[in-house]
Amino acid sequence: MLLCAGKLCATETAADFATANELYAKGKFTDAAAAYEKILQTGALSPELLFNCGNAEFKAGNTGRAIAALQRAEQLAPRDAEIRANLDFVRSQVPGATLRERRWQNWLGALTLNEWTWLTVVVFWLTFILLAARQVRPALAPRLKNATFVFIGVTILAGVVLGIQVDSHFSQSTAVVITAEATARSGPFADAQNAFITHNGAELSVVSRHDDWVQVADASGKSGWLPVKQVELLRGA
Amino acid sequence: MRFILKISLVLGVALLMCSPVWAASFTASLDREAITLGESATLSLAFEGGQPQTAPSPNVPGLQIINVGNSQNFSIVNNQMSSVVTLTYSITPQRVGRFIIPAIAADVGGQHLSSPALRLTVEKPAPPSAAGINSGNEIAFMKLSLPTDKVYVGQTVVAQLQIYLRDDVVNYGQPQFSGTPMDGFVLGKNAGGGRSRAQVGNRVYTVIPISLAFTAVKSGPLTLGPFTANMAIVVNSPNQNNDPFRSFFNQGEQKQVTLTTDMLHVQGQPLPTEGRPGNFSGAVGDFTLNSSVGPTNVAAGDPVTIRVQISGHGSLDSITLPDQSALNGFKIFPPTAKTDVSGQLGLDGTKTFEEIVTPQSAEVHEWPQFSFSFFNPEEGRYHTLYQPAVPLIVKAVSATTLPPLVKNAPPENQTPRDILPIKQSPGVIEKASQPLIARPIFLAAQSVPVVAFLAALIWRRRTDSLANNPRLRRKLQVAQLVQDGLVDLKKFAAENKPDEFFALLFRLLQEQLGERLDCPATAITENVVEENSILRRAPDSMRDGLRELFQLCNQARYAPVRGTAELNSVAMHFGKVVGELQNLKT
Repeated sequence: MLLCAGKLCATETAADFATANELYAKGKFTDAAAAYEKILQTGALSPELLFNCGNAEFKAGNTGRAIAALQRAEQLAPRDAEIRANLDFVRSQVPGATLRERRWQNWLGALTLNEWTWLTVVVFWLTFILLAARQVRPALAPRLKNATFVFIGVTILAGVVLGIQVDSHFSQSTAVVITAEATARSGPFADAQNAFITHNGAELSVVSRHDDWVQVADASGKSGWLPVKQVELLRGA
Repeated sequence: MRFILKISLVLGVALLMCSPVWAASFTASLDREAITLGESATLSLAFEGGQPQTAPSPNVPGLQIINVGNSQNFSIVNNQMSSVVTLTYSITPQRVGRFIIPAIAADVGGQHLSSPALRLTVEKPAPPSAAGINSGNEIAFMKLSLPTDKVYVGQTVVAQLQIYLRDDVVNYGQPQFSGTPMDGFVLGKNAGGGRSRAQVGNRVYTVIPISLAFTAVKSGPLTLGPFTANMAIVVNSPNQNNDPFRSFFNQGEQKQVTLTTDMLHVQGQPLPTEGRPGNFSGAVGDFTLNSSVGPTNVAAGDPVTIRVQISGHGSLDSITLPDQSALNGFKIFPPTAKTDVSGQLGLDGTKTFEEIVTPQSAEVHEWPQFSFSFFNPEEGRYHTLYQPAVPLIVKAVSATTLPPLVKNAPPENQTPRDILPIKQSPGVIEKASQPLIARPIFLAAQSVPVVAFLAALIWRRRTDSLANNPRLRRKLQVAQLVQDGLVDLKKFAAENKPDEFFALLFRLLQEQLGERLDCPATAITENVVEENSILRRAPDSMRDGLRELFQLCNQARYAPVRGTAELNSVAMHFGKVVGELQNLKT
């Protein structure tokens, strides 16, 4: 029964996806973006869905929402060249300073968090299997010595990388400005002094949050408070 | 008394300020009557014996006159007090010419006063003469030079601007350029250099070099300059060397100087038409070409990234990629460009173009040869750089029929196709869920290899411990033997096999006692109960039980066949005695 329900749900999603694609093809980009968003709100998720949503938002003039959708697509499929190409293109349309991944972040981002998790788990299991084998068959210990050290090293390395990724995913987040212009203020109040002005699509790192305000910092290190409704928050730096 | 005198004096001064005791006067003066374009003159309006009701604001076309401050002085000469209010104006000419500052009227203390008209001559700035420079009379001057008197259109040349400050200039501010006229050039970036010293005539000068990049934009006679700049300098006072106190505080006479260069004449040459490559797009300089194509194994419609790097010396901003729209078999998206320059003038560096192309069919087998042409002004000829064709493996994709609406309906808001098109398939739809690392079951599963390893480790320790402790090993083996033997005893009892029963019983007694007394099992007989020191210390009940069991074993060889019930009773008795024996401290 659950299987049937899943199949029915997938069929409905595919139909809704095709409808959204038709709206996009007709040039009704705002409607297409809304249709993709509606699918996403059901909990359905795929890189293709987010990719198309990002395209529709960009065509509709919502650069910030487009970047947010394409970033989420990239988190699911980090090695998809089309997602990367469109994300780069949309980012190139954003004026002013904005956050950019560092080289090591790009390297770590080549795998998803789940892929890093599986990689770490596999080497972790193999390491302990090797350690257990050395106890069960002591005669094999000399032959397994080098392999054991290599696997222990790889496990530690993979664990460190996984730790960084987990920290990035759960402790850090990015805010993408989704309004034409957003004025960051020096405090979480509407009448606080202006700190700096950002534009639609600017990516900012989230420093902290207070009620309906979020403290952000731009690439040059300037920080200020923005209303949450002016940004879309993404997990991971 | 003194206090009263002081109060009287202050009141007197106040009275002087507030009321015109004497007739007021008004004078206007200029600090100089002639200045050069770029310099400023100072106009002072002095009111003696009162102050104007409103500050005058002189207005002369061609002169910018700004009030820069007011001051008031009191003086007592021969018991006569006087006060002077001075309004100071800065006059900056906007053109060359002779100007008349008309009479300025002001109401002072109820009197209507006016100043006489003033003349100010503004002259065209001119560089100092060679004789003036060599004589050492020029405290500061500026020179502009170009490395060549012929430039090609599009060529960027670096001019050297040198500011010379005589050795008696002890401090100076940043030069403020007031005029950089040029005809046929576009000014680029500038860069300062290290100061040096040079002998000019009979004086030593500090030389401040500034490099300026200029790009020629037209052919024919071109001009550069004269550049003018204002600069604040501090000069050693003539008597400063004799005044150690002033020298200590580094004081000197501050001056504002206007520096002017000569005008340079350059011949602009058009780029030659002879030998001009067909794909030449205006790049002038000296460049190298590098490119990469990837991935090279794709399906039709997949994106391929073409990266072209043009490095070298010249105007990098003006470099564009040759038009590639005519390439067959590819869909080409607008390239993005990034310029990385080295050096402050920005003339050396790399411009990187990145464009995404999609091969349209499996018929495409290569990304064609790429060429880039530029004109080298040093050599006066064109160069063309080539990158060879890159083989591509393009796989055909299964034909998919697009929905009719996609094919037929043109977009309402047609925008440039600047991003890659949407995907037709939703892919593998999944429900949004927590990452694996955040799921408790997944995390708990990771304890399995750790537990398995710990189990193997404990097993290994136990095995090693037994291997190194034969008595413990024998104890465990005998315990197992007795446990199994009791089962067999009950079996023999049930089957009423007294011979096998008592043979086994005797063997079990030997094994258990041998293990407890740490001696071979075969050496155990009934006598051991009486002779062994350990057993002699054992409880009497246990010793009696052992004796009884040995006697039963001996009697079984001669006695008639016993029944199952009696054998079972013996087996239970054996179990009880063995239990006590196993707990016996040795």
